[in-house]
Amino acid sequence: MRVSFQWLCELAGIDDLTPQEVAQTLTMAGWTVEELKLIDLSQIRVGRIISQEPHPASKKPLWVHMVDLGDEQRQVVAGAANAVVGSLVPVALPGTTVPSGVKVRDGSIAGFEARGMLCSQAELELSDEHDGIMLLDSGEPGQPLSAIVPSDAILEVEVTPNRPDCLCHLGLARELAAARGRRLKHDFMPLFTGGIEPPGTDLVSIAIEDPRFCRRYIGAVVSDIRVGPSPRWLQRRLRGVGVRPISNVVDITNYVALEYGQPLHAFDLDRLSARRIGVRQAREAEHLLCLDGQDRQLAPDSFVITDGDQPVALAGLIGGAETAVQVGTTQILLEAANFEGIAVRSMSRRLKLRTEASGRFEKNISPELALAGARRAAELLREVCGAKVHTSWAEAYPRPQEPVPVRFRPERIDAILGVHVPLEEMEAILDRLGFQVRVETEGEWYVLPPVFRLDVTTVQDVAEEVGRIYGYHNVPATLPGRRRSSWRAATPSVERRLDPCRQVLAGAGFDEVVTPTLVASEMLRRLGLDGRALRLVNPLSDDQDTLRTSLLPSLLKVAQLQRKHGREASRLFEIGRAYLRSREDSEEPEEQPDEPQLLGVLSTGHEGADAARKAFYELKGGLERAVNALAPARLRFERAEDRLYHPGRTARILSGREAIGCIGELHPTTSQAFGLPGRAVAAQLDVAPLLELDPIRKVKALLRYPAVTRDLAVVVPVDLEAATLAGAIRSTGGELLTDAVAFDDYRGSQVTEGRKSVAFGLTFRSPARTLTDEEVDTRLEQIRAVLSQRFAASFRD
Amino acid sequence: MIDFEQTAAEARNLIAEASQAAELERLRIHYLGARGVLAPPDFTQLATGERQAAGRAYNLAKRSLQEALAQRLDELRRRQLAGLANMERIDVTLPGQPPQLGRLHVLTVVQREIETVMERMGYQVEIGPEVETDWYNFEALNLPRGHASRDMQETFFLNESETLVLRTHTSPMQIRTMLKYGEPPIYAAMPGRVYRQEATDASHLAQFMQVEALAVDVGITVGDLKGTVQYFSQSLWDEERRVRFRPSYFPYTEPSFEFDVSCMVCGGRGCRSCGGDGWLEAGGCGMVHPAVLRNGNIDPEHYSGFAWGFGIERIAMLKYGVEDLRLFYENDHRFLEQF
Repeated sequence: MRVSFQWLCELAGIDDLTPQEVAQTLTMAGWTVEELKLIDLSQIRVGRIISQEPHPASKKPLWVHMVDLGDEQRQVVAGAANAVVGSLVPVALPGTTVPSGVKVRDGSIAGFEARGMLCSQAELELSDEHDGIMLLDSGEPGQPLSAIVPSDAILEVEVTPNRPDCLCHLGLARELAAARGRRLKHDFMPLFTGGIEPPGTDLVSIAIEDPRFCRRYIGAVVSDIRVGPSPRWLQRRLRGVGVRPISNVVDITNYVALEYGQPLHAFDLDRLSARRIGVRQAREAEHLLCLDGQDRQLAPDSFVITDGDQPVALAGLIGGAETAVQVGTTQILLEAANFEGIAVRSMSRRLKLRTEASGRFEKNISPELALAGARRAAELLREVCGAKVHTSWAEAYPRPQEPVPVRFRPERIDAILGVHVPLEEMEAILDRLGFQVRVETEGEWYVLPPVFRLDVTTVQDVAEEVGRIYGYHNVPATLPGRRRSSWRAATPSVERRLDPCRQVLAGAGFDEVVTPTLVASEMLRRLGLDGRALRLVNPLSDDQDTLRTSLLPSLLKVAQLQRKHGREASRLFEIGRAYLRSREDSEEPEEQPDEPQLLGVLSTGHEGADAARKAFYELKGGLERAVNALAPARLRFERAEDRLYHPGRTARILSGREAIGCIGELHPTTSQAFGLPGRAVAAQLDVAPLLELDPIRKVKALLRYPAVTRDLAVVVPVDLEAATLAGAIRSTGGELLTDAVAFDDYRGSQVTEGRKSVAFGLTFRSPARTLTDEEVDTRLEQIRAVLSQRFAASFRD
Repeated sequence: MIDFEQTAAEARNLIAEASQAAELERLRIHYLGARGVLAPPDFTQLATGERQAAGRAYNLAKRSLQEALAQRLDELRRRQLAGLANMERIDVTLPGQPPQLGRLHVLTVVQREIETVMERMGYQVEIGPEVETDWYNFEALNLPRGHASRDMQETFFLNESETLVLRTHTSPMQIRTMLKYGEPPIYAAMPGRVYRQEATDASHLAQFMQVEALAVDVGITVGDLKGTVQYFSQSLWDEERRVRFRPSYFPYTEPSFEFDVSCMVCGGRGCRSCGGDGWLEAGGCGMVHPAVLRNGNIDPEHYSGFAWGFGIERIAMLKYGVEDLRLFYENDHRFLEQF
């Protein structure tokens, strides 16, 4: 909210603080001042135009003025012609910086000496009006401008949504005064109630159909109005806080909203033919031409103000065009009402219309404010427009605000804050904020919040009030901790448990990446990954409208980006979640989805089938090592198929019997979809089953007796897999065979077409004795026999 | 019989002239080998009285040769080593060849630093779902439907009935953790991804990371919150850090605060990073609202608590001078390689 320093200090009765001090005080009391703009007019002088000549040579229209500044005359050049001989204008002399930030220099413009600048309102930050030079009503040449137009400062204050009572100058003035140890002199409830006959109640009637929506409606009749521009001081205040002056009646309603926080509306009473004001739900097919020129279709979930049966305003949002105040209006009905926040908010959201009024109502303001606002506006209408305010305002108040006292022992406040606030001080703080405090029997306090505060209902709320005015810098910093007989054992987090896995992969040359959750549904659909995808109802854009179901596309997109920026081969991994619609759910999800934590690895930029084959085994080895860092478990790999992967180079990854992921070379079409020309290998697996494995390693005793190693080259048909051979070798080798690892896979001129040679390194060892060559050779023969019998294997030396 | 003395003198000359270790070995074999020139005297051929002298002479000669060999070998080795500098000199200023290492992502590193400090303070790290129900994300946190405060957090919805949302903050984990633990003491740190339906630019992302910390115990005060946030900030940055509490509003805490940390760039004097006032906005915090405690099945009459939270990217930005949030999620190698 934009706040005028000068307006605020006037209401707060403060005249000894700088704008910076006010900003600091408000900030530390809970009203963060996000921006402070100084409008210092003391350096600007009043000048009178003595002569004005068009510039003879310039292509742009320019005027050369001679200006009287009291003690001297100066020549200045301006681009606007509206300041004529005799006009009083603000003049900035060379060396000064005007509030908008322009520094005025001595110089010449198009050959004419220019020794100052005539200022527009925008240059002085008095309004957005930048066409033409500002013209003054009064003033003496040479006077500082601040003698005519007071200097000010504009504070951009962040008002939290629980405090609509502070969306106005009076509310913040009370806070400022309280924080400075003073009590606001200004009374919350103005006394003026009008005095002209006939009574307003004879002129209009009010009926509320739904008291849950409308708690209160006051309609004051004001006559003898002459609609015209507002006086300068009023216009200036509105402009200062960014509101465009329209006419005296409208300006006053806006002014009161900015001062008291109560939205008001003025109807042209002569255009309310029935003079029976109602508040009801809109009907199907009803519509209303609004003040902003839009004709809005209404529905029963909106509320309208009616005259007779005719809608004349959208309750809490905007008035109707037909009944608006205009030039020639002589009588008005001044509306000061209270509407329920949730309903106003949902109307505002649905109609996509946010107004100054709806922004206040949706935060639930006090119905007591309606009367205060109406009285203040009536007072101003009388003073400013010379209007006559009728006595006895029509009113319906079906749901009066009940007082909500808070009872507590003051020690509770100390216990919440962690500091002892002396009782007198606590009471003084609450008093300054408008609370009534009564000490009851046995030291219990009865605290009644001011009527405009609906947010204070508990002792915690009161503690906040005391604390922020007492000052949190006065609360000593302590650490929690006490002798305790119960506690919770510390266990490492999931992420920390996964760190060894991250470190192994990083050590193996893979960069960890962190990619966005939101991806394009279209991309998932093309890749066939959209089966259990969850789409957003309200995405920001098409390329982030769905939750990712796999890390693979995200990794590929990173490789694509890296390639664009010059990296031909990317080695990447991510540990992150996928989001899969619950299996019980239909298209419209109701259940929370599965969020498996996945490990994805990608290696790109491999040229040709051989390089990719090598990359596959490197990736597989890296992955096994990474998984081994989590738990001493072995992964198993089985040939598998997946549409994103190469049909002959893909395996399912198993932990125990559970399939946990997939590894393989990517299908050429997958890589191409991401504009990656070379071959790529990738793997993805679910880490949850791995975290369930026993991470404890049991060390084996070191064997005293030497191992005997033998190599065995087995020639078999190409489609027979090494794992099958290794299984047969292990089971035949018995317990003396401690290891059998395939280390070479050869196809070529040395073996027959359709066959391959797989070389195994076999290790034999006994814990009890040194093995003899004969023993080992016997075993080896048995193995050969089994392999030739079962797989028609032959052997190479 | 040879003259031991003379043979040894000859041999010593040859040894002194030898310039290779191999040559010395040849000389050793020639003189001292099994059939070497300097063979032991044949005592059978000697008179009893001469035997002793011959034996002594032989031993003296043999020992002198052995010593000469060892000394010369040592000299040769030393000479060879002295020449190493010239023979095997390398340019030590050429660049090193690093192993091909990958890197952990900066967000992982910073998150772990934060968790480490919190764990040292006795907080248990907890994680939870990112797709939340309306109840956990809003309702249980004192943010009823239609409440204007919901506008503070623009929300992504996953169904038309708006019962499933992408969590807008890590605060639903307050409820989940209270329900999981059952009874205080509860000290938990809850990091994770959160989402806001906001247009993306250098300082806003639709997705970012937060850490939430929750303490529920007997007699927890605002002072405890202040001390905890201060201790944390000093541990994460340095001992010079001061913390400032500005009163604020969150529906799930009462009282509520924004906390600022004294600027680590200028030390609090005021600079461009902190916008001139010496303080950097760091996060939000407050005393857990009694209604929130009740929703977590904790009796607010017996226990009180505080919660505080902040963005991880913001910490990383301050720490490493990153000026555009989007860099964290783009994973351009030219960015990643700098860590």
